[in-house]
Amino acid sequence: MTWSVFVEIAPHLLYGTIFTVVLAASALVIGTLAGVSVGLLRFVPSQSLTMAIGGVVEFIRAIPLLMLIFFIFFGLPSIGIDIPTFPAAILALSLWMMANASEVVRGGIQSIPPGQMEAARSTGLSGIQAMRYVVFPQAVRRMLPPYIGLCTILIKDTSLAAIIGVLELTHTSQQLIARTYFALEIYLLAAVIYFCLCYPLSVLARRVEARLQRS
Amino acid sequence: MNFSWIAVWEGLPLLLEGAVLTIIVSLVAMLLAVVLGMVAAVMSQVRHVIPRTVVRIYVEMFRNTPLLIQLFIFYFGLPQIGISFSPFVCGLLALTLYTAAYNIEIFRSGLEAVPKGQHEAARATGLSPLQVSVHIIIPQALRISFPALGNNLVSLIKNSSLVSAIGMVELTFMANDISFQNFRSFEIYGTAVILYVIIVLSLTRVLGVVEKRIFARNT
Repeated sequence: MTWSVFVEIAPHLLYGTIFTVVLAASALVIGTLAGVSVGLLRFVPSQSLTMAIGGVVEFIRAIPLLMLIFFIFFGLPSIGIDIPTFPAAILALSLWMMANASEVVRGGIQSIPPGQMEAARSTGLSGIQAMRYVVFPQAVRRMLPPYIGLCTILIKDTSLAAIIGVLELTHTSQQLIARTYFALEIYLLAAVIYFCLCYPLSVLARRVEARLQRS
Repeated sequence: MNFSWIAVWEGLPLLLEGAVLTIIVSLVAMLLAVVLGMVAAVMSQVRHVIPRTVVRIYVEMFRNTPLLIQLFIFYFGLPQIGISFSPFVCGLLALTLYTAAYNIEIFRSGLEAVPKGQHEAARATGLSPLQVSVHIIIPQALRISFPALGNNLVSLIKNSSLVSAIGMVELTFMANDISFQNFRSFEIYGTAVILYVIIVLSLTRVLGVVEKRIFARNT
């Protein structure tokens, strides 16, 4: 690949990267909000509700993300629900994030000794207050390393949106390759860009984890 | 909106064939990734700095880039420098290398979790360092790693759906193929989703039972 080709494709790769970040950030916000809510709902004192939610979460987590994307983008239109590529990708990624984040929340809360909840309740706090002011803040610290891990996977998994035609980094690379034929160089460049997005998060997750283990 | 059970019924044989292929590919890739992961994990324990660094770079490279991009590099990129594989070999290779990167981390902490005394005691009985590794340390590390390894196998089965993008035949490929022919995509993808869920959830149950056995024997 010559320098002039690189200069020509670089802006496109940059746009693709921005789109990848936007895609990941949207799914991250929606999925996290939904996931925290779902995760907290699993501690509601109604066994039928918590079991139903647990079942749905387990079901979604068992589906490969690519299959979820195909089902939403190709499957739903055949029963009359048409969703364009970008919203379809966000929906699938958010559902994935929701299910996995809710598991992180559940794990974090369960790792807090039940005595904390009992002590908080006995000081006169309501169940919701005890969760909000005593248990959840402690649990958040333990949720952090696996949560950051999920963010890394989410960024990597936005590449799957390329398969249904969302013009993010991977799909941009495919189109540039169709024009220039520099498959190896362009995919390697894309890999380097993904690495730059993900590696800092991996390092952060390790640091947080190490700090947790020291305290 | 008219759900067609006939479409499901007609698609089922091919989808089941795809499901079997998904399971086989995942198991083979896992087996290779366990061997590769273990060798690399032992290498990263060596005192010399070069093997440790090589393993470190490998792990970070493969864990911090998307599997789809890795697949595309192997399948579309490498032929440019004269290395080309069939979709099957390429898919298997990419899945193995990606999973091995995750396995290495698991084995590394597994190896570190084996008490130092085990090593010293084994050496004291007159075993060579290699024998100590093979007969004493690695079996214990494998046992400690089992639960995390099981999770990796579950991820691998889900990740294997990506190889459909380079034309390797498995469950997702079959679902694409059938639904592009009969346009019953809701029914076909729905069935494929159910098949994945059945595979993953039954595997999780089996792993749970095996895990209990292993750790019951341990104590």
